[in-house]
Amino acid sequence: VRRLNRVLPWVVAGAALAVAVFAVVLSALAGEHGDPWWQSALGLCAVLAAVSIGLLITVRRPGHPIGSLLLAEGLLLASVGAADGYAQYAALEDPGALPGAEWAVLWGQSSWPLLFAVILALVLLFPDGRLPSPRWRGVFIGGTVAIGGFLILSFFDPEPFEAPYEDVGRPLPSLPDALSVLWPVFFLGILGSIFAAVRAVRSRFRRATGIERLQFKWLAYSALLVPLVLLVPVIGGVVAGGVEDGAFTALFLFMLGAIPASVGVAVLRYRLYEIDRLINATLVYGALTVLLGATFAAVTLIVGVAIGGDSTFSTAAATLAVAVAFRPLRDRVQTQVDRRFNRARYEGLQKVHRFLDRLRIGRSEPEEVGSVIADAVSDPSLRLFFWLPSDDIHADASGRVHAELPPAPAGRTPVRRGELLLGTIVHSPELAESPGLLDPVIVRAGLAIEIARLRVEVRRQLAEVEQSRARIVAATYEERRRLERDLHDGAQQRLVSIGLDLRHLQHQLGSGNAEAKGSLDAVVGSLTEAIDELRELARGVRPAALDDGLAAALRELGSRSPIPTEVEATEERFSEDIEAAAYFVASEGLTNAVKHAGGSRVVLRAARDNGTLVLSVSDDGHGGAAPGAGTGLTGLEDRVAALGGNLDLRSDDAGTWLMAVFPCE
Amino acid sequence: VIAEDQALLREGLARLFADAGHEVVATVDDADRLRAAVSEHSPDLAVVDVRMPPSFKDEGIKAAHWIRSAHPDVAVLVLSQHIEAAGAIDLVSEGGFGYLLKDRVLDVAEFMEAAERVQRGGSALDPQVVSTLISSDSEGGMGGLTPREREVLSLMAEGLTNAGIAERLVLTERTVESHARSVFSKLDLPSGEEGHRRVLAVLTYLDPRRNQG
Repeated sequence: VRRLNRVLPWVVAGAALAVAVFAVVLSALAGEHGDPWWQSALGLCAVLAAVSIGLLITVRRPGHPIGSLLLAEGLLLASVGAADGYAQYAALEDPGALPGAEWAVLWGQSSWPLLFAVILALVLLFPDGRLPSPRWRGVFIGGTVAIGGFLILSFFDPEPFEAPYEDVGRPLPSLPDALSVLWPVFFLGILGSIFAAVRAVRSRFRRATGIERLQFKWLAYSALLVPLVLLVPVIGGVVAGGVEDGAFTALFLFMLGAIPASVGVAVLRYRLYEIDRLINATLVYGALTVLLGATFAAVTLIVGVAIGGDSTFSTAAATLAVAVAFRPLRDRVQTQVDRRFNRARYEGLQKVHRFLDRLRIGRSEPEEVGSVIADAVSDPSLRLFFWLPSDDIHADASGRVHAELPPAPAGRTPVRRGELLLGTIVHSPELAESPGLLDPVIVRAGLAIEIARLRVEVRRQLAEVEQSRARIVAATYEERRRLERDLHDGAQQRLVSIGLDLRHLQHQLGSGNAEAKGSLDAVVGSLTEAIDELRELARGVRPAALDDGLAAALRELGSRSPIPTEVEATEERFSEDIEAAAYFVASEGLTNAVKHAGGSRVVLRAARDNGTLVLSVSDDGHGGAAPGAGTGLTGLEDRVAALGGNLDLRSDDAGTWLMAVFPCE
Repeated sequence: VIAEDQALLREGLARLFADAGHEVVATVDDADRLRAAVSEHSPDLAVVDVRMPPSFKDEGIKAAHWIRSAHPDVAVLVLSQHIEAAGAIDLVSEGGFGYLLKDRVLDVAEFMEAAERVQRGGSALDPQVVSTLISSDSEGGMGGLTPREREVLSLMAEGLTNAGIAERLVLTERTVESHARSVFSKLDLPSGEEGHRRVLAVLTYLDPRRNQG
């Protein structure tokens, strides 16, 4: 069965094509009784379009009923054409030459309701191959019954065939005349079911969202061609006094190909999303054609009247006018079409446009571009992630790195500028179904996205540099700490224990050797001095008092100051890095005050203020301190900045004031 | 009992005390063993290093507090690398407690004197700590003291008795007494206190943090 399912479409398609060619040949053989060539070509093309799209659908979507329906339609069209051709040849051109002419006439004249059956099924089952709801089965069955009844009545009609076959006898027996009352019943049944099917399509379209809506748009787009094509001879007749057969045929062929083609696009979902753009372009270029045509005609007329009959000149002027008008006119028409038919896109683009204006005058930051796009496409869940090529990673506008973008079902749309990937937009899955909205918004916002991306990247690199600076400072501090500990616990303790050994030696010498004891006293004395020096050295590297907190260290610092120093320090503890940096700021400030300021008093202050540690050193000297050469302030600034703080120096006649502020939580 | 985590220093200290004629009943290298040894031996004096394992911060101070409350008759002499050690000054003014910098041990005579004073229930505060206290008190009425009175104040803060001060400054004990009285009246302190109560009064005056509560 599966094999049959695979082969059958090809067999049907082949048969339909063969029958269609056969019809063309027969019609040609029928000579003057046959159809004109273009009518045969039309028939062939109609069959070709239906069969090829039907075949494509059955291959790509096995089991999808619309493929089978299109194939059936092709075969039916071909058979009707062939029956007509056969009848023309066998009944009119060369009567009696071929058998069964009356059957051909019968099929050719009476089988058309079957085409309605196929169309009815097609419309009811579009686009997913299922009825809109089980209720519709009634409509389907009713329609089938009406068409079946109509067929039976046609086949067994007592009336003779229509012209030019009135002389051909009917091959089937006639039904009683009484049954002819059923004609209008079945006819109304067919009309009713087709009307119902159209209603079904309409209500389905109204409820449809996303892909299904697009599928209906495709159907509607090509279905609109039918009245347009039919209007062409009417308009042509009014405007130009008639349309060439060839031109009309071309249009009609286009229509015949377009309907199955758009059904195919809808069902196969190939380039499904192009429909909005296609409709838009059709509207824009249709309106543009009309407007430019009117411009051309008006300019030709005006110039012709003004200068007299020089048609070459007026044509040239009109062409020039059209060429000049083309671009601005197109943009304007595009805007108008968007405004009227694509409100969402129009307003979205307007929002981006206003944002770009604000950006230009500095009222907005480029980083806002993500939320502007979210607003423009009305998707609050939309987020823009910038691509950082150096790290091969995405980051948001604040520079925070996202190793994983939000997972499906969220849609993702890459943002590119030329070849360069700028970032990725993560948005609601629904938005993925209308790229006609998101894509132009992204294109319009492209420059802002690129600027924002560059800024995020620079900020991130800066943050990395700052972090590495902080790490270096922390490492330096750790090194100082290790050094200080080594000096204290290593060298200093060793010297003390040597001193103790000497004292022991001195004790063992007893009371006898006074001279040696005196020498030992001197040795221990200089050892004590060495220990003192070592302690001072260690204190410079890192004051051990920091172990007991900033306040303790500052008090110790103040106590060693040669000028009166007041210490007002909070007993609170802060992170080790901050305490150390604050201590060194205080130490440097105090040293400068002692060395240069010539003041009589120094105040050291450390207080927590609003999530910060504020350390200040102020003196009442003559000022004159300035950051830069000769002061240790530059190194201190780096140290403070590495912790995210800042250093401030003011110096005037009233004294010098050095303040460091550290953020701390 | 001697508690000091560095072996060389520990042995040196033990010898120092032995040379001075004292008996060292135990030498230990951390605070837990110190507590055990103090409980076991009930010594006259425990010499305790501030920094000991495991954290090398203030194990010694904590142990000293424990000893003073669990074994009030055991005097404690804390040895430190640094001038400031939170919590030590409170103990000093209670008596039976000393706080000295480590390198002070090389000045054997003064060190032993301080140790013995502590063991007898007196106090000892390192001269450098005292000078820190005095110099940081820039606001107080210290300006009214003569240099000699200042010296006497410092030595009183160190925990020395009048006799000790007299010996150190090569003065008569009576001169020292009069200086002390003068200091007490100038600083508006209650006179006539002796021993650790005098130290307490002086330190209360000198250490502004204690005044603030």
